[in-house]
Amino acid sequence: MPVPEAITANVKVSAATQPKFRFRLTRETVLLLLMGAGVIGATLAYPHSFPTWANLTALLRNMALDGVMACGMVVLMVSGVFDLSIGSMFSMVGVLTGWMLTDGRAPIPLAMFAGLAIAALGGALNGWIVAKVKVNALIATLGTMQVFRGVAVLVGGPGIANLPAGFARLGQTEWLGLQSPIWLMLGVALGGQYLLAKTRFFRKYYYIGANPKAALLSGISVERMQIFAFTLMGLLAGLAGMAFAARVATATSTSGDGAELRIITAVILGGASLSGGRGTVWGTLAGVLFISLINNIMIFARLSPEWQSIIIGCVLVVAVALDRFLGRKR
Amino acid sequence: MSANATPASLLQARGISKSFPGVRALNGVNFEVRPGEVHGLLGENGAGKNTLMHILAGVFPPDEGSLYLRGQLVSFNNPRAAQAAGIAMVFQERSLAGPLTVAENVFFGRQPVGRWGAIDRARLHQGTLEVLAELDIELDPETIVEDLSPAEQQMVEIAKAISIEAQLLVLDEPTSTLTEAETTILFRVINRLRERSAGIIYVSHRMAEVFRICDRITVLRDGEYQGTFARCEVTEEKLISRMVGREFRFRAAEGAGMSGSTRPALEVQGLSDDRLLRQISFRAHAGEITALAGLAGSGRTELAMAIFGARPITSGRVLTQGRPVAVRSPRDAIRAGIGYLPEDRKEAGLFLDLSLPANFGVAALDRFGCWWLGDRSMEEQAAATAARLRLSNSRARSVQELSGGNQQKVMVARWLLVRPPIFIVDEPTRGIDIGAKMEIHHLLRELAREGVAIVLISSELPEVLSLADRILVMREGCMAGEIPRAEATEERILRLAALPHPLTRHACA
Repeated sequence: MPVPEAITANVKVSAATQPKFRFRLTRETVLLLLMGAGVIGATLAYPHSFPTWANLTALLRNMALDGVMACGMVVLMVSGVFDLSIGSMFSMVGVLTGWMLTDGRAPIPLAMFAGLAIAALGGALNGWIVAKVKVNALIATLGTMQVFRGVAVLVGGPGIANLPAGFARLGQTEWLGLQSPIWLMLGVALGGQYLLAKTRFFRKYYYIGANPKAALLSGISVERMQIFAFTLMGLLAGLAGMAFAARVATATSTSGDGAELRIITAVILGGASLSGGRGTVWGTLAGVLFISLINNIMIFARLSPEWQSIIIGCVLVVAVALDRFLGRKR
Repeated sequence: MSANATPASLLQARGISKSFPGVRALNGVNFEVRPGEVHGLLGENGAGKNTLMHILAGVFPPDEGSLYLRGQLVSFNNPRAAQAAGIAMVFQERSLAGPLTVAENVFFGRQPVGRWGAIDRARLHQGTLEVLAELDIELDPETIVEDLSPAEQQMVEIAKAISIEAQLLVLDEPTSTLTEAETTILFRVINRLRERSAGIIYVSHRMAEVFRICDRITVLRDGEYQGTFARCEVTEEKLISRMVGREFRFRAAEGAGMSGSTRPALEVQGLSDDRLLRQISFRAHAGEITALAGLAGSGRTELAMAIFGARPITSGRVLTQGRPVAVRSPRDAIRAGIGYLPEDRKEAGLFLDLSLPANFGVAALDRFGCWWLGDRSMEEQAAATAARLRLSNSRARSVQELSGGNQQKVMVARWLLVRPPIFIVDEPTRGIDIGAKMEIHHLLRELAREGVAIVLISSELPEVLSLADRILVMREGCMAGEIPRAEATEERILRLAALPHPLTRHACA
């Protein structure tokens, strides 16, 4: 269907949109600048302990499982929703897997498979409630958050200790000097970055987040895509919970408490917005790294953990406000 | 008090200029509204109508020029100052609080309160009744606003403006979402306002309406003042040529495709849904533009959505190229070769925050495979399409920055990438300037000539008459009949579309 030349005559194009190449203080750049300043400052202050391999791996290990979950969360947030139940999912899958391994005497591969299946099912349940029943994501996952938390405590009490050594080893082994949770994060992040940035399938989430109605009328199966994203999120949260249980050889019923808000914070710091349509895996990982870095520096500075909370809270609000103020001024 | 007895101006704008970075939006514009006058403001998108309205409303000050209200020099630093001076805007985007009642909206922020600071419901109710009665609006003050029709909501907006004693009302495209009957009611209210010696600025693309309601008409083009004309002394053709800056032939009734093909590209048989549509059957042939005419609410958009899989049906079936297809979602419809250009481009069409290529490519995503976004082929096609449609500033960061006409072209371009053999277009030229409108008309004819079956839904009868090869008319969810092209007139279409009711009364006294 070529468009004849004749009809192109006499079109005015608004002249107000000349491209301007200038430095833009976006949320990502703010984050990188702050991290650069933090690293330089900490290196100068603690030259013998901060810039060391041991500290770097500790820092990466601390962020690893958050990083895994954040990769799922960024997909949801790009499509305009989020999941509050991931912290509970993290605990619940750890506890259920631990229970199957101890009381249930299940072989390790079976228990792990069953744990991940439960995680995926729980995520799919969230997706079904949001996409099909049309309950707002905040309410739906606020509900399942408490359900999952209850299940975790019912099954595991305060926690299940003494998990089998074979299982614990999975969470503790090192390869090339990095522990398995770090490799897990790197794998998920690389895969996630490729999928979200390069594939048409995941590109659809940006459309859904930008305008769900238009996405539907453009031939995107919005409901199915949403269920899939929640399933993926559940799976990643369960995987992280299982990895954590393995690393400490104990499944605690409260291990994931608070993860949901920490991870949503990281994803927003990394450039996503609550209204959807924006966000990248790299940005998200930068957000998680930032939180981990602040935590790390606080320890060197011997400041109480409350300072971490205060600093991250301020940075979150200031970064988003700056972004509004500078980046989107029209 | 007769309007003509007081020719002194209510509002006078002299030599208004305003520049934005890179564009001179207004250049020495003169504009005057008299009390008791409905003053039409015409111009293509980008002509400066919005800028002028925003200056009147105090959104931003002019660079040069001065505003006089009842002879007094005024300058507004913010919208509140303009409001205090008695200028009220009724914008296209409604500014009502949906979950609250009519009364609470009319007295928004000024509800009468009792001794303890609690809202006095009885006085609120009474006050609202008075305002509504004054305007001859029949509405219950206790109705929840979001349950009202668009027209009724607009009445509430106007009542709100009147209750703050506005002397000058600015109506921006007030009828774009109204039915013919609702428009008649709106015009009655406008006439009431006129009798109260209020001044009304009426901004619209619809020439027929402007002629029906306005006393005088001012035309802007590219930020330049083109003149003010009394309605009785000017023709539509003259106004249009002033707007577009060239001679313009209206209603270019040229026949498009030939209706030679026998097998219909699209056939709908006995389609019903559970709310509105009843036993609808029709055919659309390749190479033809089949128009679906009818009043708003007659079920045309619902029918299109049902065919496109975006609305559940209870019975009936859809055949493409003679074969029945199961369409349960828009995705299925696209696979079956059906494209749909939605009516409301902002709400249901565009991804306002995303880039132009992203907006072009969305419907064609699946055609380029699932796992690799090697954007080369898609972006090349998108770029080529953009170039052909002269959407040349595709470096705009988002479609939000484009004018309405260019936004509509982005929507059309999206479907040019998919190339569906059946293309349903729903109000393809609503609210866009005449230049872009002509282009889209031309494009639709061109597509038909190349063998696409086009189903055109339009409430603008001149558009239907000038484009359609066949005209089908819907009424209250049913197919009311077909009017042969040769015999089609606006009047015949309207008569078939509406059960007889007192229609347009042209009053040019």
